[in-house]
Amino acid sequence: MTRFNELLKHAVLLFGALIVIVPFYQMVSYSLKSPAEIERGIGGFAGSQALMTDEQCVGRNTPDRSDVETARTRFPGQDDSHVLGQLLEEVRAECQVRPAVFNYTSAFSEAPLLCYLLNGVIVTLSIFVIQVVVALPAAYALSKLRFWGREAVFGMVLFCLLIPVHAIALPIYVGLAKLGLINTYAALVVPWTISVFGIFLMRQFFMTVPDDLVDAARMDGMGELAIVWRVMLPTAVPALMAFAIFSVVAHWNDYFWPRMVVTGDRSLFTPPLGLREFKADIDGSLYGPMMATATVIVTPLIAAFLLAQRKFIEGITLSGMK
Amino acid sequence: MVAVDMPPQTRRRAARSPQTMAWLLSAPALALMLLILLVPMLSALVLSFTDYSLGATELNWVGLDNYEKLFTRSSYEKMLWATLTYVLVVVPMSVGLGLGAALLINSLGRGREIYKTIYFLPVMATLLAMAIVWELMLHPTIGMVNRTLEMGCGTWIESLWPWLADGCANGMPIWLGDKDYALWVVCFIGIWQGFGFNMVLYLAGLTGIPRDLYNAAEMDGARSAWERFRLVTWPALGPTTVFVVTITCIRAFQVFDTVEALFPRGGGPSKSAYMMMFAIYEKGIKQNLIGVGAAITMLFLLFVMIITVIQRRLTERKVHYS
Repeated sequence: MTRFNELLKHAVLLFGALIVIVPFYQMVSYSLKSPAEIERGIGGFAGSQALMTDEQCVGRNTPDRSDVETARTRFPGQDDSHVLGQLLEEVRAECQVRPAVFNYTSAFSEAPLLCYLLNGVIVTLSIFVIQVVVALPAAYALSKLRFWGREAVFGMVLFCLLIPVHAIALPIYVGLAKLGLINTYAALVVPWTISVFGIFLMRQFFMTVPDDLVDAARMDGMGELAIVWRVMLPTAVPALMAFAIFSVVAHWNDYFWPRMVVTGDRSLFTPPLGLREFKADIDGSLYGPMMATATVIVTPLIAAFLLAQRKFIEGITLSGMK
Repeated sequence: MVAVDMPPQTRRRAARSPQTMAWLLSAPALALMLLILLVPMLSALVLSFTDYSLGATELNWVGLDNYEKLFTRSSYEKMLWATLTYVLVVVPMSVGLGLGAALLINSLGRGREIYKTIYFLPVMATLLAMAIVWELMLHPTIGMVNRTLEMGCGTWIESLWPWLADGCANGMPIWLGDKDYALWVVCFIGIWQGFGFNMVLYLAGLTGIPRDLYNAAEMDGARSAWERFRLVTWPALGPTTVFVVTITCIRAFQVFDTVEALFPRGGGPSKSAYMMMFAIYEKGIKQNLIGVGAAITMLFLLFVMIITVIQRRLTERKVHYS
């Protein structure tokens, strides 16, 4: 009976797992297949990888008048249209690629995907670094220093925790527009520079650090700022790691805010914006490259997650600790 | 600048005063909280009573006009319906599935980690990318979903499942293009993406339940698994449930990525999936009707506040910070 129960549980969980995984399977599968295979729904997971003709490569290298002139010596005694036909055959032969290679190279060549990825890295990292630089000293002051107004400041932090970012998006957009900052890196980063959650989290963590440690540092003649960075920061590394994961995952995947403040300027696109643009331009046959783009964008975090699951789950569910 | 001009002695004394130092350390955080969180929230409130638009030379006080529009125009009525439907479907489903998955996984002997990892994958993945993958899977002709369904045509399944028989006879649904299905598809993606997060929180909650409680319940005559769940597990998970429901609710109100990616022209077929966040983006940014966008923002804030107040009421006795 218990054996049967266990099997039944596995059956239910496997069914759920199947539904959860199918889109990932499909995404990677499409990113490997040729348009014809996608169109007809054949080829299993990776397709047959039979050579296909890259029509865009053919388009780029279509022989023109001067090519025909120079090639005439190679085809003696044939008229121009024949020479042209021969040359076209050669170009088509040269433009044969494997579908997987075609999809991934087009993902990077059809759109500046590399630039999008770089933007994603720049934006997420700057956000995290600034959040820490702002939050750590405040968290230290709130946990280890006694000063007039401390309760009020902490009360403000607790109140701000309740403000959802989406509720202030529009006024911040207006403010940035007034300052002429729409379509800049600043617009992507500035609204996130303050993480009240980060302050709260680090403050809770610092409360557990013994006061003796701080006192000893003061005895050694360290200034308060030095204590924050040279004493408190090293003790906070585990909490900071979790916060880093929380922050980086949220901002790498964020689409709402970049959509609001970046309009049209492709050089500032973050990965999700780039993918969205790709989808908007798509002419119907580029599902393969589109899915390759999606795979490239999704993979870094998924890979990191699979390597350090415990840390990631801890980081993402941090908000559960409030 | 001022500090540099001061004579060295005063500077040293200023630096030594713990009061000043504490304020200096929290100053950047305080300033940013004020500028990025509190001021924008108040300006959203003010803007919602005006007809402000970017580039306009003047700003008129329009009283409650924007709010009146929200409650009288049919497109906003659709927005409220779509958003509330989404919340009322996604929250119970993703909380229920999260709890179910956690209970099943927790009772397993082997294979816990693998299910946990799989179910958490969608939480990590860029939602925008996954929405586009789902769109491709739901493509009426080349999509995997309809292909799979069509395999059931002409088999015994058809006789058991009238819906499928209808699809086989009159063509499978076009999903995102059909106003009877579009909103449900968006809900489905929301559940698919979010329940793993809830599962992880529930798993953490389950490990916190002492084994003795189960033994005691068993001695009191709670023999069936259901009795044990009702008497021990469910009450013990109370705080987790309150938190999970709150955070899922707030997130559900913020749904944006999926609808923006799936319905580029806005709101889906007959505006059946016209969500609040999308409305803020469309009115406030695309159509430059900041006043209306701000009014929707305030409505969103109101919903979030109601949820938060309920949560606070429910957890008041248990949570204490300092």
